[in-house]
Amino acid sequence: MIAALAGLLLRAVVVLFGTALLTFALLWNSPGDPAQAIAMARFDALLTDDVIDQVRVEAGLDRTFWVAFLDWLGPLLRLDFGHSSVTGRPVWPDLSNAMGYTFPLALAALVIGIGVSLPLAYLATRRPGGWLDRASVAVATLGTAIPAYWLGLLLILIFAVHLAWLPAMGARTPAHGILPAVTLGLGVAASLTRIIRSGILEARARPFLPALRRRGVGSAAIGRDHVAPHAAVPVLTVLGLELAFLLEGLVLVEAIFGRPGLGSFLVTAIMARDFPHVQAVVVLTALIFVTVNLVIDVAYRILDPRIGGRDA
Amino acid sequence: MTLTVSGLRVVRAGRTILHSTSLSMSPGDRMGLVGSSGSGKSTVGHALIDDLRGQGHSVSHVPQSPDEALDPLRSMAFHWREAERALGGVDVDRAALFSALGIDGGDMGKRPWGWSRGMQQRFVIAMALIGTPDLIVLDEPTSALDPVVAAASMDLLERHLQGRDTAMMLITHDLGLAARRVSQLMVMAEGRVVERGATEDILARPQSVAARALTAHKSWAMVPC
Amino acid sequence: MLELTKVSVKRGKTPTLRDVSLRLPAGQTLAVVGESGAGKSTLIATILGLLKPTSGTVAWCGAAVRACRPALVMQEPRAAFNPALSLRRSVMEPLRRGPAEGRLERLCAGLDLSAEILDRRPGEVSIGQAQRVGILRALIAAPPLVLFDEPLSALDAVTQKQTARLISDLQREEGFAALIVTHDLGYAVAHGDEIAVLKAGRIEEIASPRAFALAPQSDYGRQLRDAAIALGSLEAAA
Repeated sequence: MIAALAGLLLRAVVVLFGTALLTFALLWNSPGDPAQAIAMARFDALLTDDVIDQVRVEAGLDRTFWVAFLDWLGPLLRLDFGHSSVTGRPVWPDLSNAMGYTFPLALAALVIGIGVSLPLAYLATRRPGGWLDRASVAVATLGTAIPAYWLGLLLILIFAVHLAWLPAMGARTPAHGILPAVTLGLGVAASLTRIIRSGILEARARPFLPALRRRGVGSAAIGRDHVAPHAAVPVLTVLGLELAFLLEGLVLVEAIFGRPGLGSFLVTAIMARDFPHVQAVVVLTALIFVTVNLVIDVAYRILDPRIGGRDA
Repeated sequence: MTLTVSGLRVVRAGRTILHSTSLSMSPGDRMGLVGSSGSGKSTVGHALIDDLRGQGHSVSHVPQSPDEALDPLRSMAFHWREAERALGGVDVDRAALFSALGIDGGDMGKRPWGWSRGMQQRFVIAMALIGTPDLIVLDEPTSALDPVVAAASMDLLERHLQGRDTAMMLITHDLGLAARRVSQLMVMAEGRVVERGATEDILARPQSVAARALTAHKSWAMVPC
Repeated sequence: MLELTKVSVKRGKTPTLRDVSLRLPAGQTLAVVGESGAGKSTLIATILGLLKPTSGTVAWCGAAVRACRPALVMQEPRAAFNPALSLRRSVMEPLRRGPAEGRLERLCAGLDLSAEILDRRPGEVSIGQAQRVGILRALIAAPPLVLFDEPLSALDAVTQKQTARLISDLQREEGFAALIVTHDLGYAVAHGDEIAVLKAGRIEEIASPRAFALAPQSDYGRQLRDAAIALGSLEAAA
């Protein structure tokens, strides 16, 4: 177990380092003159070559690739994200401000997603093939097919424009978060419902269940102690992927609802070639990903030690 | 206490898959239920268990393979506790059962696949013996196991049952196996009991077509001892 | 003749076959018995060329086994067929052209299969019938070597013995060499020309059925024989 954990950790570190290197290399080699773009963003005007050259030196763009990479990586290991090339301000306060908008939204979406899908899947599988089951599958399929920007606009149209119950744009009050959270949450719920449903159905078809019943184990205990763990394995797998979709959806949803957050932070930074900002977001998301997947991998191994084990 | 069922009948989807069957067993009896696949042996087994339980007898069941009895995600200790709880707090001497079946060395913290298949099957048999049931039904207990392991498991079970009141029913397609293990036979064909009697009588003078086929194909070969 | 010389196979770190040497002349039956996990499936995969031996050689008449187009009969007869195709189509699949005149009919008669059964799908026949069709498919292209992987273990006791007889009769007519992997010593004794005992990837002994039944030379061989008697697969003469 300890060896396996060490292996997983090592893998996480390698992935993180690779991501950092790759994003840095991509940005470094992106087309156009980054110094010019930064100067444009900073002074909002066309500039002479010597000003641009000065910006180049300030932003550290005149160094060789490896020197620049290591100069960035060193402080990063101490969680120092550096300074913005455009504003010159430290990256961290702006970044944490953006996260303050995004993380609660992501969490709310996840809670809605699980809160809707779990009971729905459970109800649907009470009578497989019944109308509730078929309806839930239909709705879930539809929900997976609908893109977040379309659903978001639809919700704005209904609840903000026609009914005028909820605010649509901005993030001033918690009420502003409701529509974006629902938009994202329903998408999560749609795909999770299908996975949980098929997970439960598959778990119920396990060959040892009739023997347990014949042994006199109650159906509630069978559901809790045997069906649930088996159903959880595929759900765990998908949860990691779900997070990727969630992050992707966040960028869109923040744009639709005009919310500040990581999405707009990233888009602005890319436009301005603000390398430290872009890199900070990429490293942060990679860190979240790697951590979540690490937790999932560990949870897997606790649930079913045969997974990933060599001695199974 | 004699175990008696009468008029056992199973209809599924409008088709009678088990025609009215009666049988009775005394404590300590060894009964074999033999027939080719699809003859309705397992159906009798399940119907018998339900009926006898309805009468208040304790009946346990050992399926063909440990995969059909144990949850791979749960530890052996969990299975054991669960079985004890299902029987409602009977007094169990686990150590004695385990040593009788030769699995006292097993690590209860492990999950089934951490044990060999032979040990798993013996663990399932041990669970089936919790609370000394009136009847233990074994449904093809050897066919998913290695022969050496299967023979050892059957020997251990037989030794454990010696002198106890628990009756045993062995359901199998293999008359050769039944002949070595039971004193009475019921031969099944097409959802009916077509012949019953003492094992040696049926082996020596099979009457029905099914019994004759089974006796003719009882074992592969005679070997000198 | 199938010839394995000092074949070792490693999967991961642990060897699954160690120094296995076997000879199977044309028209003969070699029965390989042993516990599950002894390397029986690895042996079949190695002979078929699906696994490369880490050392040693596998040959059919001095050439690669693949060249003689060996056939395989699998344990789970229904799972061995495409469920969407009629059995006839599955049987004909290994042939480029149709079979030789009358061959299908002759084999069907030998396997006690009516032509009508071939028009059904795998799910619509009994397991015993499906396994006979599996044997039909293996034999249709007249292979000189047929490998049987636990061919009877999905069948009931009576069907096992009937099917084993059909295989033996066909073998006498067709003259193929048969390598039968089984855990049932009774089957091996009744139908093998030679018996090889495999344990933990090693050949413990090779003997004629008669010699083996009389006096197994290895410890494990003895255990196997006693178990076969205890389970009624073999009967001890009084």
